[in-house]
Amino acid sequence: MQEELFNKIVNMDEEGSIKLAKEYLDKGGKPQELLEVCRRAMDAIGEKFERGEYFLSELLLGGEIFKSIMEFVLPLIEESETTRLGTIILGTVKDDIHNIGKDIFKAFAQAAGFEVIDLGVDVPEEKFVEAVKEHKPEIVGMSCLITAGISSMKRTREALRASGLENVKIIIGGGRVDESVKQFVGADAWSDDAARGVRICKELIGVEG
Amino acid sequence: MAKSPEELAKERLARIEAAINLKEPDKVPLWGVGGDIVAAYAGMTQHEFCYDYDKAVKAIEKFMRDFPFDTSMAGLMGLEGRIFCVAFSEFPDISPALSLITGPMHDVLGDKYYRYPGREIDENATPQFIGGTFMEPGEYDRLIEDPVGFVAETILPRACTNLDTPRKAMATWVRLGMECSKFFSAAAEIGRVSAELGYPPFPMGWGYSPLDIIGDFLRGVGTVVLDIYRYPDKVKKATEALTEPIANYALYHKYMGAKYAMIPLHLNEYLSPKLYNEFYWPYLKAVILKLYEEGIKSMVFFEGHHDAHLDTILELPEGWGIAYFEKTDVVKAKKVLQGHTCVMGGIPMGLLVGGTPMKIEEYIKNLLEEVKPGGGFILAPGVGTAPSETPIENIHALIEAVEKYGYY
Repeated sequence: MQEELFNKIVNMDEEGSIKLAKEYLDKGGKPQELLEVCRRAMDAIGEKFERGEYFLSELLLGGEIFKSIMEFVLPLIEESETTRLGTIILGTVKDDIHNIGKDIFKAFAQAAGFEVIDLGVDVPEEKFVEAVKEHKPEIVGMSCLITAGISSMKRTREALRASGLENVKIIIGGGRVDESVKQFVGADAWSDDAARGVRICKELIGVEG
Repeated sequence: MAKSPEELAKERLARIEAAINLKEPDKVPLWGVGGDIVAAYAGMTQHEFCYDYDKAVKAIEKFMRDFPFDTSMAGLMGLEGRIFCVAFSEFPDISPALSLITGPMHDVLGDKYYRYPGREIDENATPQFIGGTFMEPGEYDRLIEDPVGFVAETILPRACTNLDTPRKAMATWVRLGMECSKFFSAAAEIGRVSAELGYPPFPMGWGYSPLDIIGDFLRGVGTVVLDIYRYPDKVKKATEALTEPIANYALYHKYMGAKYAMIPLHLNEYLSPKLYNEFYWPYLKAVILKLYEEGIKSMVFFEGHHDAHLDTILELPEGWGIAYFEKTDVVKAKKVLQGHTCVMGGIPMGLLVGGTPMKIEEYIKNLLEEVKPGGGFILAPGVGTAPSETPIENIHALIEAVEKYGYY
């Protein structure tokens, strides 16, 4: 049944996979194991994306399926039972209000085992700084779509530095970031796709990507 | 001796047209940059630039004067208004006028599609299109049955607070017409200034890809992608139903003198080849072909990575128009499309913002070596909106690099 569920998720059978996940629990299956199947499936979807077999549409639907199943699985799992790779503070930077890329990344990062604290869109520098002070994350993920976001990322990087928060790793993501933007911003890594972004986050904290 | 504006404009136009017609021009044409930098360079806020046309015209003039590209992409700020074009697609005299919704028009409409500086967002933020969900999945049948009526009578009152009752709508449409007329006066002024500065007229209308109308204006970009899996037949029929009104409004620009049609794509990058070929491309192709039959060449902006769909462009007739790429490798694209389609793009905005003049020169030199042979290439920023902090010396470096390495 686990294998069947894995295949249904990876093959984008939304209705079928949600139904089967419910059945699995009804038949006494362990929520923790169900979570693991979903995580493995999301990982496989990410890999297919990176190999060019899957596209953004599959990432979007995969994220949706994961979220739908988690809605009834997560409440059944004790916090202490879940594995935590680390914490990511995530947000679309100031003056940019786009959320799709950020949200896809969030679903895949959560599936990979990160705790993600989502600050939303149009997030000012000081809000990133406050959140880093409060949650002490391993990683800050800054997202932007429009080119104006590039400058906001740089300012946020500088604000973190000015507040003495040098140690947190910074990854930037979004349609218009690349190596030049990474250097301009002073980030540790960049990605313009969510799957690779999650893999890089694992590498940044020393877990095999 | 310095060239007269007329000579300069003629030379630039010949350069661009040669590339579009798949020939080698005298020099690789360099398409301009625009965006937030235009206002910032003139020392004004994005709000002032969006809301005060007189000031905006001055900023645009200054930018055009100081940065001599072959075309100017410094223009009045407006965001995509295609849903209004569809709503008015039975009225050739009105529909094209609503292709762009400016800040003042956004205020008049009270719409939920756009965010303008000094209104919903900071006065120095970029104006942004955000779209939204204004239609339920159960309403696809209504869209399929009467796309224009459904958009005009059901969607717009939901999406625009000042259209939500027929009485408010009466005042709103009159006010919008008045705003359009102010906008066109300012646009005419830019036309005059452009001619004085030696920029060629490049009469460009607008088109749209039918599925993008559903994604951008009706269901939301993320939602329509999920709809494709959940209600594939409905999405396909709705896309088909929208194709004719879109092709019609795009064609109306011809009556206003347009020779080209800009078609910016959004969902192309989201879709696998299978989905692209089933839900997106056939309808976009129909719009491009209809325009081509009427003598209009399309400039299609393939947003993001279009690598997986490159071959489909070869289904169009040779010389159909211009394929403008954002992140697709133009060297690879040119190899695939050589002798068939003019390729445009090549300059990553990240390089212009984060690079140095030396890096930019080096990059342009290497790129041009690859893409120059055989012509049919227009050098352009992958996305034409340069942020406020773009270093001015980098823009100059770009223009100088093309002057140095661009000649055939």
